[in-house]
Amino acid sequence: MSKNDNIKEIITTEETDLMQEIMNIAFGRAAADLAEYIDIFVLLSPPDVILLQASDLPAYINRELKDYDKVSVVEQSFWGKFKGNAYLFFPAGTGRTIISILENGDEVFQSESAHEMEKETFLEIGNILIGACIGKISELLGDFSTYSPPRVVVEKSSRDIVSSSLIAPGNVAIVLKTVFEFHEKNIGGYLFVVTKQESFAWLKTALHKFMEQYQ
Amino acid sequence: MIKKILIVDDSVISVKIMKSCVPKDKDYELFDASDGQKGVEKYKEIKPDLTFMDLTMPVMDGFQALEEIVKFDPKAIVIICTADVQIKAIAKAHDLGAFSVVKKPPAKESIAAAIKEADDALAQRG
Repeated sequence: MSKNDNIKEIITTEETDLMQEIMNIAFGRAAADLAEYIDIFVLLSPPDVILLQASDLPAYINRELKDYDKVSVVEQSFWGKFKGNAYLFFPAGTGRTIISILENGDEVFQSESAHEMEKETFLEIGNILIGACIGKISELLGDFSTYSPPRVVVEKSSRDIVSSSLIAPGNVAIVLKTVFEFHEKNIGGYLFVVTKQESFAWLKTALHKFMEQYQ
Repeated sequence: MIKKILIVDDSVISVKIMKSCVPKDKDYELFDASDGQKGVEKYKEIKPDLTFMDLTMPVMDGFQALEEIVKFDPKAIVIICTADVQIKAIAKAHDLGAFSVVKKPPAKESIAAAIKEADDALAQRG
């Protein structure tokens, strides 16, 4: 049996479609929360759901970010029955653009160093987007999540930014990907939610339970 | 009176969910299309009494499709069913001529209420 056949046995096409729709709803909520925080309009794209062997994950993320030499990343782990890691990537320069949007009328930022300001900005944006997105996925699937403190890396080479040790070798990850743009600001980003294999059994049950309300 | 309902959404599961939310006691004829472009084409072909339209779709998004449909039929009743709950997105949909907006995931009650509102509006038009 091939690697792909193994993966198909883990999650069916209908379950994949439903995960995609749940990610769509969750990120829509997260974007609305962010739009309330900063005066922007987030252009959303249909999300993707990809199943990957653990060993393939870093290469997959490298491919997705190939257009950018340097990226900033907010990484956060989440725990609950739904368990994994979320990565929010922004191309280099995004932090400064967001700060310039926020600085309208806000003098506090003037006294802080540029690097620290970017870090703080990414922390806040990551907190809103990741927290709202994971929180909504968990809520829709009847769970609740707790989070690690976010880790922020500002403008590092996009190559090997995600560690291959993230998932135990031989395991499979469900990767939820969404791409977004901040309308008229010429910036965008990527959110990857990597679900660990130990959540899969619960996830399948939760997806079926979610659909029961529509039977 | 509403007879034909068109559902435009790129997600197969979302179409399935929407169809399950439409009340079964009225014998509505249900049609679907998998992106905005196909939605506009289907609209012109079947002229539905009511259209449920997603916003985030490939090829042509729901905003563009709504604009095209309203251009073709200024009296079109298009209800946006979306995960994009940003205030600006909802305002834009209304500006483009959406009849109302339903947030995803839909509940059977909210879809039934939205259809009733649309039916009342049609009845008032005569």
